[in-house]
Amino acid sequence: MQFQDAVRMSIEKFIEGKMPEKLTELSPERELYYTPDYFDQLEEELLGEPVEKAEGEKDAV
Amino acid sequence: MQFDSPIPGANLVADTRNYAWHRPPDIVEYDKAVDYLISRIDDPHQTQMVLAMLDIEAQISTIVSTILLQTVAKGKMAIDLALLAAGPLARYIEIIAKDVGKPYSMGVRDKSAIIITPTLLKQALGIVEQEEDMIEDMEQEEAPLEATTGGLMGMPDEMVAPEDEQMEMLGGMDDTESDPMVEEEPEDEL
Repeated sequence: MQFQDAVRMSIEKFIEGKMPEKLTELSPERELYYTPDYFDQLEEELLGEPVEKAEGEKDAV
Repeated sequence: MQFDSPIPGANLVADTRNYAWHRPPDIVEYDKAVDYLISRIDDPHQTQMVLAMLDIEAQISTIVSTILLQTVAKGKMAIDLALLAAGPLARYIEIIAKDVGKPYSMGVRDKSAIIITPTLLKQALGIVEQEEDMIEDMEQEEAPLEATTGGLMGMPDEMVAPEDEQMEMLGGMDDTESDPMVEEEPEDEL
């Protein structure tokens, strides 16, 4: 797999609202800040339009 | 004889500080990595660069991988952390593009889009039903051939032999009633 393909896959998963579960274990004392929800809220604040969630999207871990 | 390759263990004595990615990365936490990348994008010069790339219809995934490769090459973060930060960075660039009204393409597979496969195309054209009918017809034609048995070692059609044949196999006993327990005395007394 090329780096470009891995980047595409990572973006795809993030847009679906998925994040690696193990990522939260890296900093168990505090929650992650830059989650998919954060960017949805940012978009809503900046553009003033609600973001449609992708099908099967779950809340950020 | 001269060898071109390094001797075993050469990597242990070589100066690995020549490249930035050989040293431990500066950023090792996810949030800090995304924070660093966002601050880079917010730099006016970098923002112009991103918008210029969007103008030439570059996909956001391409812009993201370019920025990430630069970051890894500088030794700011390891390549695996860079991959984790790819999604947030792409999302941020998407928001910027929407904000300034630039048309953009994410460059990722749209899962809502229907992937046209040969089977799907056949179903749409009704070819699959025709093929299924043809297969059923062929199976029906082939069915009697499978039932026929033959050959010297082939299994007989009927597993149970007729009654006459069974009697014959048992020694050709007649229907005469005879009690096997009673032994007939021989005529000639010996």
